Order: sequence, then C-alpha cells, then structure tokens
Amino acid sequence: MNEKEGQEVTRRNALAWLLRVGAGAAITAAAVQATRRASGKRTVWQIDPRKCIQCGRCETECVLHPSAVKCVHGYAMCGYCKLCFGYFQPDAARLDEAAENQICPTGAIRRQFIESPYFEYHIDEARCTGCALCVKGCTHFGNGALYLQIRHDRCVGCNACRIAEACPAQAIMRVSADTPYLLKEKLGPSGPKESDG
Amino acid sequence: MKRPGCIRKRAGLAGMLLPLVTWAADPRFPQPQFESGHTLPQTPHPAFVEQVPAWMDVLLLALALGIAVWLVRRLRSRRGVLLFSLLCLGWFGFVRRGCVCPVGAVQNVAEAMWNGGGLPWFVAAIFVLPLFATLLYGRVFCGAVCPLGALQDLFIIRPQRVPRAVDAVLRLVPLGVLALGVVAAVNGAGYLICQWDPFVGLFRRSAPMTVMLTGMAVLFVGMVVARPYCRYFCPYGVLLEFCAGLAWRPVTIPSRTCVNCRLCVGTCPVGAVTAPREVTSGAERKRLFRRFVTLAVLMPLGVLLCASTGWLTGAWVARAHPAVRMAEVLATVPQEAADQHPELEAFRRGGASRDEAEAYAAEAVRRFRAGGAGAGVFVGVVMGLRLLGMTRLRRRPLHEADRMRCVACGRCWDACPLNRSVAGTSGSTSDGPSVG
Repeated sequence: MNEKEGQEVTRRNALAWLLRVGAGAAITAAAVQATRRASGKRTVWQIDPRKCIQCGRCETECVLHPSAVKCVHGYAMCGYCKLCFGYFQPDAARLDEAAENQICPTGAIRRQFIESPYFEYHIDEARCTGCALCVKGCTHFGNGALYLQIRHDRCVGCNACRIAEACPAQAIMRVSADTPYLLKEKLGPSGPKESDG
Repeated sequence: MKRPGCIRKRAGLAGMLLPLVTWAADPRFPQPQFESGHTLPQTPHPAFVEQVPAWMDVLLLALALGIAVWLVRRLRSRRGVLLFSLLCLGWFGFVRRGCVCPVGAVQNVAEAMWNGGGLPWFVAAIFVLPLFATLLYGRVFCGAVCPLGALQDLFIIRPQRVPRAVDAVLRLVPLGVLALGVVAAVNGAGYLICQWDPFVGLFRRSAPMTVMLTGMAVLFVGMVVARPYCRYFCPYGVLLEFCAGLAWRPVTIPSRTCVNCRLCVGTCPVGAVTAPREVTSGAERKRLFRRFVTLAVLMPLGVLLCASTGWLTGAWVARAHPAVRMAEVLATVPQEAADQHPELEAFRRGGASRDEAEAYAAEAVRRFRAGGAGAGVFVGVVMGLRLLGMTRLRRRPLHEADRMRCVACGRCWDACPLNRSVAGTSGSTSDGPSVG
C-alpha cells in the first residue's frame, strides 16, 4: 500500500494535497489569529479582595481539597483588636482562646498577646481551608485586614479556574505571574481594576 | 505601562502624597502605636514557580509526537506504543496534571480568536502540534501521547462491537460537545469542556466526588466499550478526525501490501478495521444514487432540525453564564433564603437595577441561542456529509484501518503476519509474536 501511494500523481492525489495544505494553513491561521497581541507574560489566577464577598465558594469549588485559597493577614491594616471579629464567634461567651469562642472551624488562627490592649493574630495556612468566615467578620466589623488569596505554592493553575467560574462576584482574574498576589494592604480601597493580563 | 499613571490619576492627591500608606480610607480601628517596639510581621507570599517552563512543555509534546510517529510507522509494535503511552500518562497526566491539554486548548484558541487575540504562544502550540502530526501521520496522538486515551486504553478488557446505528448516533455527541464548548467559551460562560473532563480529577488526585465517580464510571464502561470518552465525547477528537481524514501517511495495519488473511479482524477495540468491499453492481449503484439524491434533498431539513435543537439547547447552556445565573437566582429565590445564594449579595453590591440584570441575562441567552443554532448547523452539516458519504461506496480490495476512527493503539499489528515476518527478517527490536 505504501509503495503505491505518492507515486501516482493522480487528480485525487493532487486534490488530497490541496486539502491537506489548506487544512494546515487554516490551523496555522487560527493559531496566529489567537496569539495576536499576546503579552508574552505568564499569568496566574488571583482573587481581587476588593471584589470578594466572602461567600465561601472558594473553599468548596476549587479542584483541590483543601482549596488553594487561604486567608492571609495584612498586618499593616490590622487594628490588633482585643475583640477581633475575625477571631471570635459573634456570640462568644468570653474573649479567650477557648475553641467554642473561635469563629475559625479549624482553629487556624493563633492569637498572641503583644501589649495591652493589643493582640496579634497569625494564620496557620496548613489548617486554613479558605472558608472565609474570619474574612467576613473582619471585613464587616473590623478593618478588613484578613482577606483571601490564591496561594501559588498550592494552585495548580487550571486552564479555567473553577472558583473563578463559580464566583458570584467575579472576583477572580488572571494577573501577571511576576506579581502574583493582590495584597489588600498595597491596593487602594477602590483602586483601578487590574486588567486581564 | 499605563497602569501607574492610571492609579495616580484616580487616587489623585492622596496617591501622590502618601505613596507608602496603603489603605487610603480611614480604618474602623486605628492602627496601634506599640510602646514595646513591636514590629509588624510580614505574611510570606510564596512566589509563582514555573515547575516546567512553557517552552519545555511544548518541546516535550513535540518530542512525544515524534516518538509516537516513529513507534507507529517504523517500530510498529503494540508493546512499544503501550509502554510509551504509559510514560505519557505518567508525565502529561499525573506529573503535569493534564493542564493545559490540547483538548481544553480548543476553548482558549476559540475564545482568543473571537476576542481579538491575547493567547499565550505555548497554548496555541499545544493546540496545533497534535493536529499537524495527525495531518501527516493519522491519530498517533490519541494512541500514544494523550493521557486521557492512555488511561482508557488500560481498561479495555473485553471490548464489544457497538452496533452501527448506535455508534453513528453516539458519534454525533463529540460534535455537539465541541460546538457548545466553543460557544460557551466565546461567550464568557467558562470552559465547559474542562468541566466535563472526567479524568482530570484522577490526575490531580483531588476532585469533587461526582467528578471522581464519573471518571471511574467512564473507565468501568470502557472495559466493554473501548475508549468511550475518545469515541463518544472528546471534542478534540472531532478535529483530529477531520485531520486524519486528510492524513498524508495514515496508520496502516500491515507494513506491506495486505494479503487479506483476516487475522486482524476483531483485534480492533474501536472497530476501525474495515473489511474489503467488492465493486457494487449496477442495480446496487442505482439504488445508492437514489439514496444519495434523497439524502441530499433531505439534508437542509436535517440541518434545520439540528439548528432548532441547538437553539433550544442554547438556553440551557446559557445557565453557565454568570449573568444568567444571577437573573435566575433573582427571579426564583425569596429574600429569606438570601444566605444560601451569594449571587444576591453580589447583585446588591454591583449596584445594577433588577431590570438591567434581567436585560443583561436576556442578551446573554440570546447570544447563546444564536450560538446554539450555529452549533446545530455544524452538527447537522457534518451528520449530513457522513450520511452522504455512506452512499459513496468505493471498491476496497484489502483490509484497511479506517483512518478517521483508528487511534493507533497497534493491537492489529500483533495479529498481522506480515508485521511479524518483517520483524523476524530485519531482526529489529520489535517484540515478537504475541497474539493475545
């Protein structure tokens, strides 16, 4: 069969070549068209904390379990409150470190006394599931120093981020891989929107 | 380049005077002035580390395709293809976790084409390379490189022949998946093809239970219906099939001229071995011609039917679009249940009116209906051409591999006596006879 092919320059053969080259050209044209004006920079997924409404889907929708989204603490914004709304249940009986008083379901926040009346709060990322309960408390009643970020030591960089598709506020976007975090303490409260990169 | 300027313009004076102070609005609680000299700790942010550079991914895919072509054309060894596909399953699947893959890249390319470019070059390369390889040598990508195919190939235990009519109908599904996936990606409703990928969860070893169970169910079905995802779902397979139809040197069963020994019949798990066909008689030809004319006349009707089905399906696919989802929640969820539906919270913050949200959703649905109709036309035309093709019976003297269906798994080579003698005389490294 192989010997026969290619030797006879029939009309069929010529037509086949024409179609083949045409298909190759079409594929190339599609690829060229798609890559026009590409920035050439790698991009990664990130949450814009200004748009986040703390719905909790980051915890459940990520393809990873536990999610690649974790709570981070912007210390520069923190009020070091004794009564931290990101740490205590709204109806906490006492302001101490007892488990029943904490809002974090996994106990991922560590409370540390600094000086009267200030307390510092540390996130244990290994325990954090990205459920955003603390973020909600801090954003609604505190300074909003706790916020969610996609952690790039965990994110697998899906072609289409599942949480971005599920996010009701469309808070997840692609950012340049050189600056892979949207840190709330470095962003303005209503700064310019990051463009897709 | 424009960004810093923008920030300054928007933030105005505050931005200029306070370049270091970061939260311009007054915090609810003032920041503490520590008397003990406590310094603020810094949260460490792990940088994005490219585990494998993009050019390396592309190079490895090209290399894998090259080796696959060599295995399929020169070595012609089932064992070789199997071992290499396992290697690719390990690397492209479990190490690289299957993302970005050529199957999903269809959506990236379509979206970027529609929205005026911006696709990273390596995604385009990953999309294009297997197509080029197929245009030259048939679907070697499916058999030896694709991790999804390799995984399913391992589960082929007792492949059964799928009845022709059932097969013909099921083979329309990938066309629909491709068309709807492209429509959804282009209209900003996410990447449905990636969401419907049953195996990527296995590769990541982490996925919602439903995805895991679907993946396992597909593998389970694959024990009797060989490669069910490849044959009856894979949207990239549609493009590969088109390319394989035009292939320069498609996959062949024997390395030399077939002697019609029929030993290869029944070895093919995907039903790609076609038996010889005699010249059709005059009466038969007349009957086929009549059927051709009837089908050609009926084809516009079929296309119209498919288009209207697509138009109806469009509204269903549109529910993947965030605006449509939002409008649906707005219309159906009572105010008391707002806690369970963060869409309402997002809507409240968005500041749009209910009418605006509904108009936006209606516009999205309209675009999806139009896209769905287009998808229907595509499915209808391909279906019509397939039907018309069935009336054109060329004489086929020898056993052949159907170039569109053959995924180059190589099971038929082991059965073919011509391949065996080639291996014997040339003393090549090909594995010996192992008819199983």
